[in-house]
Amino acid sequence: MTQLLNEIEWSEPLLAPDIDPAWEAELKRRGGNGSEVDRRIAPSPWLREACLGINTGRASEIPAHLFNVAALVTSQENACRYCYGANRAYLTMLGYSEAYIRRIETDAHLGELNDKERALVTFCRNLARSRPRPARAELESLVRLGYTPAAVHEIALWIALGCFYNRVTILLAVPPEQGFEQWVVAKRLRFTLMGPVMRLLAERRRRGKRDPEATADFLGAGPYGAVLRPLAYLPGARIMKGALDGAFASQVLTRASKALMFAIVARSLECRPSETEARRLLAAEGFSEAETDKALSTLQSPRLSGSEARLLPWVRDTVHFQTAQVQRRTRELAAAIGGPAALEAIGAAALANATVRLAMLLE
Amino acid sequence: MSAAAAAGLLAAAALAAGALAWIAFGRARLFERLHAETKRKLEQLQREFERFAPPDLVERLTAGRGDVAPQRRQVTMLFADLQGFTPLCDRLDPAMTVTLLNDYFRHMSDAIQRHHGHITELVGDGLLALFGAPETNPWQCRDAVLAALDMRSALADYNAKLRARSLPELRFGIGIHTGEVIVGVMGAGELNKFTVTGDPINVASRVEGLTRDLGVDLLITEDVRAALESGFRVRAMAPTRVKGKPEPIQTYHVESNDA
Repeated sequence: MTQLLNEIEWSEPLLAPDIDPAWEAELKRRGGNGSEVDRRIAPSPWLREACLGINTGRASEIPAHLFNVAALVTSQENACRYCYGANRAYLTMLGYSEAYIRRIETDAHLGELNDKERALVTFCRNLARSRPRPARAELESLVRLGYTPAAVHEIALWIALGCFYNRVTILLAVPPEQGFEQWVVAKRLRFTLMGPVMRLLAERRRRGKRDPEATADFLGAGPYGAVLRPLAYLPGARIMKGALDGAFASQVLTRASKALMFAIVARSLECRPSETEARRLLAAEGFSEAETDKALSTLQSPRLSGSEARLLPWVRDTVHFQTAQVQRRTRELAAAIGGPAALEAIGAAALANATVRLAMLLE
Repeated sequence: MSAAAAAGLLAAAALAAGALAWIAFGRARLFERLHAETKRKLEQLQREFERFAPPDLVERLTAGRGDVAPQRRQVTMLFADLQGFTPLCDRLDPAMTVTLLNDYFRHMSDAIQRHHGHITELVGDGLLALFGAPETNPWQCRDAVLAALDMRSALADYNAKLRARSLPELRFGIGIHTGEVIVGVMGAGELNKFTVTGDPINVASRVEGLTRDLGVDLLITEDVRAALESGFRVRAMAPTRVKGKPEPIQTYHVESNDA
């Protein structure tokens, strides 16, 4: 059941902060906020780039208002205490009333939510939950309600990126930004009065231009290019592409182990195109069809080392989970494979979940 | 109209508008409170309902989704039954019997949920868990056997506690079979539940019964064994005839998971 903020169980952080001064300075220069997340993912170059991209990302087809609502609903649906709390505080900072936020999070389809917003909230919940699996028809129903196809793709992209970010913070059990949350609550009256100005600033901050270099051909080259192609010219598409390219190029875990993780998530969510793409990546690593079949049916592969073999049964637990349980299992994994490998595995699992969810909509 | 009369009219209109706004505000507040209360009750109901059916199923039913319609699909069924518990009940205090049984079910339920299974029925001291329903599960045989092995070690831990309190220890038999069954919400009138029906469920139940005859705690069928990877250590049992089957069925005792 969808939980409210105070109902989410959350454990102690998996990793201690580990950020070098050079990256911290660059983060600030590029508009990052040096959050608890940033401080824990800093050792992984592709992961920190992806998360910075999400924090500073822009949208060209949807207004900031929809962007913010989607972020709140996605983080709530994923039961991510860190992101849910931060998104809730951010909406308060933008002058949204407590009653309005409450209506969204309790799924109360009343008053201030119009038909389009209600459809968006439902879409976010369904895509994040993926149980039952979402399908292209859901994208098409949003178009019928008046969203442009580009806007719908952008919404789907940002929900997928939200699922990615939520999983990173959940699996790392990043400590919630309670200082920020409490500060916002203490200044609620001031933010209510300044709401319109704050929203205007937020709109400008999130408003992006179409990215002329993010062509379909550019996005289509590399792992899971077919999933990225429909996102051509969206400013956020490059974040997803950078993450996929970076994750598969990284040497911390073998490419085969990551392709198998993607294949397992694809099979869990019954996404045939995603599994086919993972099989293609595995074939490039020398896996025969029979070896891939065997690995997928048994969650084991003799080609993986002892520590990487642990990733296969674990990654399926990241598809549908109860927060406390998946954090416990991730802790067991980290104890067995070590911090750097665990961080990489968390990034890859989060990315696999995001990618496959996006792919399901395009089938 | 004089200025004073116009001012009076204006004041009256403002007063009336104010009163209307006040009434509307009051109504809105009342509606808000009613909504919050209804929501709270529904959430409470949903939580209570989740004690009787898998949370995912509850979510689907309360969201009014149509995907709980009956369908034929591959499901792995795990039957577990306490052996020798009925005579034990006659010796124990009723409150103690219920406590024992509830603790036992809690331990078993934790093991089953850890491996993506759902308990769908509790009958007396027996339980039926499904793997692959309500949601599909490509690793259902593996999950069911891992759950059974976890149940075995959970029972051993629980027995150690019972022993320390000078209470009788518990023994169970588990039978696992996989096959195509019909899944859906079944029942009549006031009693409906999400469950499965079909011949494979009878086989799973018979296999559980065989654990007594063969003197082991955990048996799986050939179909389950064929779906397992090599890491499981299993021992073939003598083919045994069971009620309702013309041919003896081959079963395997699962000793451990070495993977």
